[in-house]
Amino acid sequence: MTDKKAKKLDLSITNETVFSFVKTFIAILIALAITFVVLCVVSKNPVNAFITILTGALRKTRYIGLVLERTVPYTFAGLACGLLFKAGFFNLGAEGIFVMSGLIISIVAINPITTSPILHPLIAIVCGALVGGVLMLIPAYFKAKFNANELVISLMLNSIYVAIATYVVRNYFLSQSTSLIATPTFLETATIGYIIDKYHVSIMFILMLIAVIGLQFVLKKTKFGYQVRLAGTNPNFAEYSGIDSFKLAMKTNFIAGMLAGIGSAAQILTQASNFQPSTTVTNIGFTGSLLAMLGRNNPIGILVSTFFIKYLEQGTSVLYYNDTSVPSEIIAIVQGVVVLLVSSQYFLKKFREKKLLQEGLNEHE
Amino acid sequence: MAETILKLEKITKVYGNGVVANRDVNIEFKKGEIHSIVGENGAGKSTLMKIIFGIEEPSSGTVEYKGKPANFHGSMEAIKAGIGMVHQHFMLIPSFSVVDNIILGDEPVKGLFIDKASAVKKTQELSDKYNFELNVNDLVSTLSVAKRQKVEILKTLYRDAELIILDEPTSVLTPQETQELFEQLRGFTKQGHTIIFISHKLDEVKQISDRITVLRNGVSKGTYNNDELTMAQLTNLIIDRDLENDMDEFKTHKDFGGKNALEVRNIVMKHHSKNILDDISFAVKKGEILGVAGVDGNGQVDLVKTIVGLEQVEYSGDVIINGEKVNDKTVKERRNMGMAYIPEDRMVDGISGTLPISDNMVSTYYDRDDVSKGALLDNKAISRISDELIEKFAVKAKNNAVAVGSLSGGNVQKVVVAREHNTIPNLMIAEQPTHGIDIGSAELVHHKLIELRNEGAGVLLVSADLNEVIDISDRIIVMFEGHIAGYFPDANNIDETELGMYMLGVKRQTPEEIGGALND
Repeated sequence: MTDKKAKKLDLSITNETVFSFVKTFIAILIALAITFVVLCVVSKNPVNAFITILTGALRKTRYIGLVLERTVPYTFAGLACGLLFKAGFFNLGAEGIFVMSGLIISIVAINPITTSPILHPLIAIVCGALVGGVLMLIPAYFKAKFNANELVISLMLNSIYVAIATYVVRNYFLSQSTSLIATPTFLETATIGYIIDKYHVSIMFILMLIAVIGLQFVLKKTKFGYQVRLAGTNPNFAEYSGIDSFKLAMKTNFIAGMLAGIGSAAQILTQASNFQPSTTVTNIGFTGSLLAMLGRNNPIGILVSTFFIKYLEQGTSVLYYNDTSVPSEIIAIVQGVVVLLVSSQYFLKKFREKKLLQEGLNEHE
Repeated sequence: MAETILKLEKITKVYGNGVVANRDVNIEFKKGEIHSIVGENGAGKSTLMKIIFGIEEPSSGTVEYKGKPANFHGSMEAIKAGIGMVHQHFMLIPSFSVVDNIILGDEPVKGLFIDKASAVKKTQELSDKYNFELNVNDLVSTLSVAKRQKVEILKTLYRDAELIILDEPTSVLTPQETQELFEQLRGFTKQGHTIIFISHKLDEVKQISDRITVLRNGVSKGTYNNDELTMAQLTNLIIDRDLENDMDEFKTHKDFGGKNALEVRNIVMKHHSKNILDDISFAVKKGEILGVAGVDGNGQVDLVKTIVGLEQVEYSGDVIINGEKVNDKTVKERRNMGMAYIPEDRMVDGISGTLPISDNMVSTYYDRDDVSKGALLDNKAISRISDELIEKFAVKAKNNAVAVGSLSGGNVQKVVVAREHNTIPNLMIAEQPTHGIDIGSAELVHHKLIELRNEGAGVLLVSADLNEVIDISDRIIVMFEGHIAGYFPDANNIDETELGMYMLGVKRQTPEEIGGALND
């Protein structure tokens, strides 16, 4: 009897999961409405512009390909941040990891260490992941050992890493064919080609899907995921329960660093021809933290939000080709409003409470 | 008939999580009376007080203060209107002086600066007028708990409170201090103040109240004159079932070989050259409950932390669990040896409020074979075990997916006790296990502790609640200022006043007598 009752899907608004879906959906509608209002002000043909933003990405298969391809590094960044947030670390180091891993990946990619087109990128990815994992341990160590603020440390490290990468490229790996601070062009063997050419689907895309599903599984079903849940929601309770918080901090940050490192490889080896420390991977790590918030630190949620944002971005750039009166930054409005509303504790709270009130009263009748 | 100062009409409050805290509550408070609100935890007392004090807004219903509608928005408005509240947990800044604490938020000013001189004068006069025996220039951190409570009360008087709400004021006091407080409260009513008194301790309620309102499940069961209610009637109104008082009948007496589940030897802990723990030695035998009595803040917290392995401060001496020295062992290693721990502050250490009950039910044994396989958790088994524990410990919740934080205090504690009980311990450290929870839940917790004892586990019960210590312990030690002040080998033959003397440091036994705590 009770078993059946528990298994019955609770689709009422008072259910936490259903509520967060509805909340996100309504937030998106509001954000789009605001975008439309802005379009009315800046564009001569707002309806057309609005439709272009929403459907522009579907107009050519190449556009769809771009959306899919760009989703990959950002999803990895989102996963890294999401895992850290979930474990209770407000560590924004993913940005710097993208740069440092990117440096290592690029060094591997410009050197003829192997002629195999499979081994070469694989070595680059592994190196990037390891460097990312190890570097992420620095803020984690200071946090776990000395309770230093990981946000401050990670932000400082981000600047330091850009400086280090710039120094190394300028002094040891500077390209002679350009005036920019950039590495030489990557070797043919190191770049990653597409499996499905039409949609720009590479092995990195597959790797991303594996990472999303894998992380989802780890968080939901494993002891490690359980420890992350406990420590992330109440570190005192985790300590009390006998969880080794130091070890857990090291593990979580290492995995997050690896995810960021792989994300960096996805950006560099599929979408760039050389590495420029101050531009190639800039802002991916920071955007990752927004995407993590948008996806409520849930791996599948992060994937969906990333795809959604990249999809609208593509629509916006299609619009920009046709109607230069609309700034391409308009997409930032959608992103900003949605993040704001989704992460707001109070948005729609009154509405939900009213429903709960009814439910509560009915139960007590 | 005295005039009505505060009138609650049809107050209903539903929280965001769907919990109905109050339902159509009607109460009238008369000027100059001591009016007690009693009820189990989760009966809605705290919520009702928060509504009066403007911290919560009622979902429906009206509050009338001095004949005028008064749905306060925020406590500032309530304070301005003349309502004061002394919270269960004191809202004082320890590093500030008494006078600074009192004027905080309502400072008298002279030009741009605080008029300290007149503030000192006014608060000192107020303190003297009510016989509080406070020096208002003392730092709060140097004051005893009872004195701090007086500062809290003084704070409300300074703001000209006519109606003072006291939330569980005696939970931190010794019997003697409680009597002193009661005398002062009676003095207040003579001067025209009205007191709302909230307590779990029925004998105190009977002693102090003019009238009593009983809440059960958020509904008022009526307001009664104190003299027309017997203790038995009152108890029945509150819990609606007969209460078993004598815990001894649940105890069975088996021989577990006189072995020690826990030994503590010569623990000394210094902090700023002050001895927080001063040569503490005792043993908890298998199959017994050793009670540690004492007013809060006499070293109990550090003692427990040392035993369970969460202590940060250096100490000397040995902690021995089941014959093995554990000084260097982690919490996890100690737990693996059969230790379980019910922490003092359940909301901070004992649960993760945003996680579902099921996650909270296994945190201390999630790696055990019956709930995990290799690196994986067995979520089905966890759900099943949670359901079983919810039923066995009568946790009031819709299902095991409900967030623990949305439950009432008593039910949260049941979750903690259920989990620790299910670790199948041979040593249970129970720290203030029934603090601030209702009678029904407390009784269940006591039964479960005795059940563990009967099955051969050693139970260390650390509690500031004297009745609890006397009711369920086999032997008792009393802590005062970091040392053991007294040892009582037979908990059945002690009277409360005698114990109170040791708790207050009036009496202290010789080292030989106290030595029995370890060697008996």
